[in-house]
Amino acid sequence: MTDPETTHLIEVEINGATHRRAVQARQLLVHFLRDEVVMKGTHIGCDTGNCGACTVLVDGEPTKSCMVLAVQADGTSLTTVEGLSEAGGELTELQQAFNDQHALQCGWCTPGMLIQAKALLERDPDPNVEDIRRALKGNLCRCTGYVNIVRAIQQAAGQEVDAGRPQEVTR
Amino acid sequence: MLPRSFKYARPVSLAEASQLLAAHPGARPLAGGQSLLNVMKLRAAEVEALIDISRLEELRFVEITGNGDLEVGAGMRYRELAEHAVVVEHQPLVAEVAGGLVDVQVRTRGTLGGNLCYADPTSNFPPLLVALDATVRVSGIDGPREVPAEDFFVGPFRCDLASGDVVRSVVFPRQAADAGVGYQSLQLARDSWALARASAWVQGNTTIKTARVVLACIGPRPARQRAMEAALVGTAGGEADIAAAVACELQDVDAVGDSHASAEYRTEMARVYAARALRQALVQMTQGDR
Repeated sequence: MTDPETTHLIEVEINGATHRRAVQARQLLVHFLRDEVVMKGTHIGCDTGNCGACTVLVDGEPTKSCMVLAVQADGTSLTTVEGLSEAGGELTELQQAFNDQHALQCGWCTPGMLIQAKALLERDPDPNVEDIRRALKGNLCRCTGYVNIVRAIQQAAGQEVDAGRPQEVTR
Repeated sequence: MLPRSFKYARPVSLAEASQLLAAHPGARPLAGGQSLLNVMKLRAAEVEALIDISRLEELRFVEITGNGDLEVGAGMRYRELAEHAVVVEHQPLVAEVAGGLVDVQVRTRGTLGGNLCYADPTSNFPPLLVALDATVRVSGIDGPREVPAEDFFVGPFRCDLASGDVVRSVVFPRQAADAGVGYQSLQLARDSWALARASAWVQGNTTIKTARVVLACIGPRPARQRAMEAALVGTAGGEADIAAAVACELQDVDAVGDSHASAEYRTEMARVYAARALRQALVQMTQGDR
């Protein structure tokens, strides 16, 4: 029987590179990324699972890294915002679309928005407005009000960007 | 926020998980963690050790049993349930409810078993499980046992589990062609919190032979409305029958008001949504449309 321990050795692949660390059981994945691996791209917003700023891909699935323990990520493959494009290099189409559509202002929600949008487009390359808005339900933005973010995702999907008012979303 | 220090283990079998949980009385099972970890961050739960059951293959299955029931492993995540062809075919409402929980990120990790064990009185699944007469299969150190969903939810954040117990699966009885189920929630927004929920199950043909009506979000646990059920049996389930039924005295209900709605409004809406759930169920019952 494996007795419970407070410290665990974990091995995690982050954006293609393998990291091995001893972690405390209590350490959240977002703190592991920011403070142990020192990748500050993943943001801490609310720390209660509401805002989605800390969203990363765990084995391809969008996950709020403040609601996962680092030790739970053992053996998984993570993608963070740093994994989208090389620092100083060419932006991905999605990142460029966020830039073109002014889909960020303060930038705090942007890492989570980008990762969530990437996950959406990988599952559904041609989402409609409601699909996009519903996919962003777990990602809060307090500056732009989502309209430009939705447009950026439309642009990244190769769609015509809604120039007018946002479509009404059914409840 | 960091949770208080605790220990962690990832057992490789359900039996080992039960042994660990029984051997460490302060230990709790960790499934999706989408509620428990937040509760621990808020220091609202005292947890000495987390026993991680999220990777146990024994909890991750969907199958049709020998008598046609649908058995769903407790470790199945919401998104998996929403998209699973067998669940969609046999219990489409279970898939629909799973696909409308919270948000994408929570749906990729949250599990059916975790949802039930958290026993939040506003949670989506409990009233549906009670309406469908589902059975919760529990694995404990003294062997397996079965608990009807109606008895499983004891009160707010309390369910019928003892130390060493792990929910293994949920069994949804086979839906007969002459049965129908409905589920309706008054939500603040799509995939959001609900002010009131109602689920209904009816069986019969030209008249209702059996009915179950369950209300949630307006009491400590999913509340069977036996007076409503009795009023429905023997009727054709017309609009007047539905109106008479949902006007019956409520049972096991104790709504609390908050900034979203008063207790009176929630209670009144529970009746309205019970009527809607009944209409949905009755369409299926009379048309065999599922």
